[in-house]
Amino acid sequence: MNLIPGANSASQGLRAEQVRLEVISQNIANARTTKTADGGPYQRQSVRFKAALGDAMAAQSSSSAKNEPTLEIVRDPRPAVRVYQPGHPDSDKEGFVAYPAINIHEEMADLISANRSYEANIAVMRNGRALAQQALSIGKR
Amino acid sequence: MTPITNSFSSNLAAAWARPAMGKTAGTASSVAGDTSVAAPGSRFGDMLSEMVQKTDASQKTSAATTGAMLSGQNVPLHQVMIASEEASISFQLMLEVRNKLLDGYQELMRMQV
Repeated sequence: MNLIPGANSASQGLRAEQVRLEVISQNIANARTTKTADGGPYQRQSVRFKAALGDAMAAQSSSSAKNEPTLEIVRDPRPAVRVYQPGHPDSDKEGFVAYPAINIHEEMADLISANRSYEANIAVMRNGRALAQQALSIGKR
Repeated sequence: MTPITNSFSSNLAAAWARPAMGKTAGTASSVAGDTSVAAPGSRFGDMLSEMVQKTDASQKTSAATTGAMLSGQNVPLHQVMIASEEASISFQLMLEVRNKLLDGYQELMRMQV
Protein backbone atom coordinates (compact mmCIF):
# COMPACT_ATOMS: atom_id res chain seq x y z
CA MET A 1 0.00 0.00 0.00
CA ASN A 2 1.29 3.44 -0.86
CA LEU A 3 -0.17 5.42 1.99
CA ILE A 4 2.38 8.20 2.23
CA PRO A 5 2.33 10.30 -0.95
CA GLY A 6 5.71 11.02 -2.45
CA ALA A 7 7.47 8.41 -0.34
CA ASN A 8 8.94 6.51 -3.30
CA SER A 9 10.49 9.56 -4.97
CA ALA A 10 11.74 10.94 -1.67
CA SER A 11 13.33 7.62 -0.79
CA GLN A 12 15.17 7.46 -4.12
CA GLY A 13 16.25 11.08 -3.74
CA LEU A 14 17.64 10.36 -0.27
CA ARG A 15 19.58 7.40 -1.63
CA ALA A 16 20.97 9.53 -4.46
CA GLU A 17 22.12 12.28 -2.11
CA GLN A 18 23.69 9.71 0.17
CA VAL A 19 25.77 8.31 -2.70
CA ARG A 20 26.74 11.85 -3.68
CA LEU A 21 27.93 12.53 -0.15
CA GLU A 22 30.01 9.37 -0.13
CA VAL A 23 31.67 10.32 -3.41
CA ILE A 24 32.45 13.80 -2.08
CA SER A 25 33.97 12.36 1.08
CA GLN A 26 36.11 10.02 -1.01
CA ASN A 27 37.28 12.95 -3.12
CA ILE A 28 38.24 14.98 -0.08
CA ALA A 29 40.01 12.03 1.54
CA ASN A 30 42.05 11.43 -1.63
CA ALA A 31 42.85 15.06 -2.33
CA ARG A 32 46.58 14.48 -1.96
CA THR A 33 46.82 10.92 -3.28
CA THR A 34 49.61 10.87 -5.83
CA LYS A 35 49.68 7.15 -6.55
CA THR A 36 46.76 4.81 -7.14
CA ALA A 37 46.52 1.19 -8.32
CA ASP A 38 46.31 2.48 -11.91
CA GLY A 39 49.65 4.24 -11.49
CA GLY A 40 48.64 7.85 -11.80
CA PRO A 41 47.24 10.29 -9.24
CA TYR A 42 43.71 9.95 -7.94
CA GLN A 43 41.07 10.99 -10.47
CA ARG A 44 38.26 13.08 -9.08
CA GLN A 45 34.91 11.28 -9.20
CA SER A 46 31.50 12.82 -9.57
CA VAL A 47 27.99 11.45 -9.58
CA ARG A 48 25.78 11.76 -12.62
CA PHE A 49 22.04 11.51 -12.11
CA LYS A 50 20.44 10.27 -15.29
CA ALA A 51 17.30 12.12 -16.20
CA ALA A 52 14.39 10.37 -14.52
CA LEU A 53 11.52 12.23 -16.10
CA GLY A 54 8.97 9.65 -15.16
CA ASP A 55 5.39 10.78 -14.98
CA ALA A 56 4.45 11.31 -11.35
CA MET A 57 0.95 9.90 -11.82
CA ALA A 58 2.27 6.81 -13.56
CA ALA A 59 4.79 6.28 -10.78
CA GLN A 60 1.97 6.29 -8.25
CA SER A 61 0.14 3.47 -9.92
CA SER A 62 3.13 1.39 -11.01
CA SER A 63 6.20 0.25 -9.17
CA SER A 64 8.83 2.62 -7.86
CA ALA A 65 11.46 1.39 -10.32
CA LYS A 66 10.06 3.61 -13.07
CA ASN A 67 10.86 6.83 -11.25
CA GLU A 68 14.22 5.84 -9.90
CA PRO A 69 17.02 8.27 -10.69
CA THR A 70 19.84 6.27 -12.21
CA LEU A 71 23.17 6.96 -10.60
CA GLU A 72 26.45 6.76 -12.38
CA ILE A 73 29.79 7.47 -10.79
CA VAL A 74 32.00 8.97 -13.47
CA ARG A 75 35.62 10.02 -13.40
CA ASP A 76 36.34 13.66 -13.94
CA PRO A 77 38.76 13.91 -16.88
CA ARG A 78 40.45 16.99 -15.46
CA PRO A 79 44.23 16.84 -15.92
CA ALA A 80 46.29 16.48 -12.79
CA VAL A 81 48.01 19.44 -11.20
CA ARG A 82 51.77 19.29 -11.59
CA VAL A 83 53.85 20.62 -8.75
CA TYR A 84 57.61 20.91 -8.82
CA GLN A 85 58.82 18.69 -5.97
CA PRO A 86 62.05 16.91 -6.96
CA GLY A 87 62.46 15.19 -3.57
CA HIS A 88 59.06 13.49 -3.67
CA PRO A 89 59.15 9.69 -4.18
CA ASP A 90 56.49 9.98 -6.91
CA SER A 91 58.15 12.74 -8.87
CA ASP A 92 58.81 12.10 -12.55
CA LYS A 93 62.16 12.58 -14.29
CA GLU A 94 61.63 16.35 -14.52
CA GLY A 95 60.91 16.63 -10.80
CA PHE A 96 57.17 17.27 -11.11
CA VAL A 97 54.62 15.47 -8.95
CA ALA A 98 51.09 15.04 -10.29
CA TYR A 99 48.47 15.86 -7.66
CA PRO A 100 44.75 15.24 -8.12
CA ALA A 101 42.86 18.23 -9.46
CA ILE A 102 40.53 18.47 -6.47
CA ASN A 103 39.44 21.91 -5.33
CA ILE A 104 38.49 21.74 -1.66
CA HIS A 105 36.21 24.77 -1.95
CA GLU A 106 34.32 23.12 -4.79
CA GLU A 107 33.96 19.93 -2.76
CA MET A 108 32.73 21.91 0.23
CA ALA A 109 30.10 23.65 -1.89
CA ASP A 110 28.96 20.28 -3.26
CA LEU A 111 28.83 18.97 0.30
CA ILE A 112 26.55 21.78 1.45
CA SER A 113 24.36 21.32 -1.62
CA ALA A 114 24.06 17.56 -0.96
CA ASN A 115 23.18 18.34 2.66
CA ARG A 116 20.38 20.72 1.68
CA SER A 117 19.01 18.32 -0.93
CA TYR A 118 18.90 15.58 1.70
CA GLU A 119 17.02 17.90 4.06
CA ALA A 120 14.61 18.83 1.28
CA ASN A 121 13.79 15.17 0.64
CA ILE A 122 13.27 14.64 4.38
CA ALA A 123 10.88 17.61 4.40
CA VAL A 124 8.94 15.97 1.57
CA MET A 125 8.69 12.76 3.58
CA ARG A 126 7.51 14.61 6.68
CA ASN A 127 4.86 16.47 4.73
CA GLY A 128 3.68 13.27 3.09
CA ARG A 129 3.33 11.65 6.49
CA ALA A 130 1.45 14.69 7.84
CA LEU A 131 -0.93 14.46 4.86
CA ALA A 132 -1.59 10.79 5.56
CA GLN A 133 -2.23 11.45 9.25
CA GLN A 134 -4.59 14.32 8.50
CA ALA A 135 -6.49 12.09 6.09
CA LEU A 136 -6.84 9.51 8.85
CA SER A 137 -8.17 12.19 11.20
CA ILE A 138 -11.22 12.64 8.95
CA GLY A 139 -12.78 9.61 10.56
CA LYS A 140 -11.89 10.49 14.12
CA ARG A 141 -14.66 11.87 16.26
CA MET B 1 -7.43 -8.25 17.75
CA THR B 2 -6.73 -9.37 14.24
CA PRO B 3 -8.72 -12.66 14.33
CA ILE B 4 -11.70 -10.87 15.86
CA THR B 5 -11.73 -8.26 13.11
CA ASN B 6 -11.48 -10.90 10.42
CA SER B 7 -14.40 -13.02 11.54
CA PHE B 8 -16.51 -10.03 12.51
CA SER B 9 -16.02 -8.27 9.21
CA SER B 10 -16.72 -11.45 7.25
CA ASN B 11 -19.91 -12.03 9.21
CA LEU B 12 -21.03 -8.44 8.71
CA ALA B 13 -20.23 -8.56 5.01
CA ALA B 14 -22.18 -11.81 4.68
CA ALA B 15 -25.16 -10.24 6.49
CA TRP B 16 -25.11 -7.26 4.09
CA ALA B 17 -24.70 -9.44 1.00
CA ARG B 18 -27.63 -11.79 1.75
CA PRO B 19 -30.55 -9.31 1.37
CA ALA B 20 -29.02 -7.87 -1.83
CA MET B 21 -28.78 -11.29 -3.43
CA GLY B 22 -32.35 -12.07 -2.39
CA LYS B 23 -33.63 -8.91 -4.14
CA THR B 24 -31.87 -9.50 -7.43
CA ALA B 25 -32.73 -13.22 -7.73
CA GLY B 26 -34.94 -14.26 -10.65
CA THR B 27 -33.99 -11.73 -13.37
CA ALA B 28 -31.70 -12.40 -16.34
CA SER B 29 -29.31 -9.57 -15.51
CA SER B 30 -29.12 -10.76 -11.92
CA VAL B 31 -27.27 -13.89 -13.03
CA ALA B 32 -24.44 -11.70 -14.30
CA GLY B 33 -24.80 -9.57 -11.16
CA ASP B 34 -24.48 -12.65 -8.94
CA THR B 35 -21.29 -13.79 -10.66
CA SER B 36 -19.80 -10.31 -10.39
CA VAL B 37 -20.67 -10.19 -6.68
CA ALA B 38 -19.13 -13.61 -6.19
CA ALA B 39 -15.93 -12.58 -8.03
CA PRO B 40 -12.92 -12.82 -5.76
CA GLY B 41 -11.88 -9.60 -4.04
CA SER B 42 -15.13 -7.79 -4.73
CA ARG B 43 -16.71 -8.80 -1.44
CA PHE B 44 -16.22 -6.43 1.44
CA GLY B 45 -14.93 -9.16 3.74
CA ASP B 46 -12.29 -10.18 1.21
CA MET B 47 -11.19 -6.59 0.83
CA LEU B 48 -10.88 -6.20 4.57
CA SER B 49 -8.85 -9.37 5.05
CA GLU B 50 -6.65 -8.26 2.15
CA MET B 51 -6.08 -4.94 3.93
CA VAL B 52 -5.19 -6.73 7.15
CA GLN B 53 -2.71 -8.89 5.26
CA LYS B 54 -1.12 -5.84 3.63
CA THR B 55 -0.80 -4.14 7.01
CA ASP B 56 0.79 -7.26 8.40
CA ALA B 57 3.17 -7.39 5.43
CA SER B 58 4.25 -3.78 5.93
CA GLN B 59 4.85 -4.45 9.64
CA LYS B 60 6.98 -7.46 8.74
CA THR B 61 8.92 -5.44 6.16
CA SER B 62 9.64 -2.76 8.74
CA ALA B 63 10.82 -5.32 11.30
CA ALA B 64 13.01 -7.09 8.73
CA THR B 65 14.56 -3.82 7.50
CA THR B 66 15.32 -2.69 11.07
CA GLY B 67 16.81 -6.08 11.90
CA ALA B 68 18.95 -6.02 8.77
CA MET B 69 20.31 -2.59 9.63
CA LEU B 70 21.01 -3.52 13.25
CA SER B 71 22.80 -6.69 12.22
CA GLY B 72 25.22 -4.62 10.14
CA GLN B 73 23.92 -5.06 6.60
CA ASN B 74 24.17 -2.20 4.14
CA VAL B 75 20.67 -0.79 4.67
CA PRO B 76 20.34 3.00 4.50
CA LEU B 77 18.93 4.58 7.62
CA HIS B 78 16.26 6.53 5.75
CA GLN B 79 14.87 3.30 4.32
CA VAL B 80 14.40 1.93 7.85
CA MET B 81 12.59 5.10 8.96
CA ILE B 82 10.35 5.22 5.90
CA ALA B 83 9.42 1.55 6.29
CA SER B 84 8.51 2.07 9.95
CA GLU B 85 6.41 5.14 9.08
CA GLU B 86 4.51 3.20 6.40
CA ALA B 87 3.83 0.40 8.86
CA SER B 88 2.59 2.85 11.49
CA ILE B 89 0.26 4.67 9.08
CA SER B 90 -1.20 1.46 7.68
CA PHE B 91 -1.80 0.19 11.22
CA GLN B 92 -3.63 3.42 12.12
CA LEU B 93 -5.71 3.05 8.98
CA MET B 94 -6.69 -0.45 10.01
CA LEU B 95 -7.68 0.85 13.45
CA GLU B 96 -9.86 3.56 11.90
CA VAL B 97 -11.63 1.05 9.66
CA ARG B 98 -12.22 -1.17 12.66
CA ASN B 99 -13.68 1.79 14.59
CA LYS B 100 -16.04 2.57 11.73
CA LEU B 101 -17.21 -1.01 11.53
CA LEU B 102 -17.81 -1.13 15.27
CA ASP B 103 -19.79 2.11 15.10
CA GLY B 104 -21.99 0.67 12.37
CA TYR B 105 -22.48 -2.53 14.33
CA GLN B 106 -23.44 -0.63 17.46
CA GLU B 107 -25.83 1.52 15.46
CA LEU B 108 -27.52 -1.62 14.17
CA MET B 109 -27.68 -3.14 17.63
CA ARG B 110 -29.31 0.00 19.02
CA MET B 111 -32.25 -0.36 16.66
CA GLN B 112 -35.50 -1.17 18.43
CA VAL B 113 -37.02 -4.41 17.29
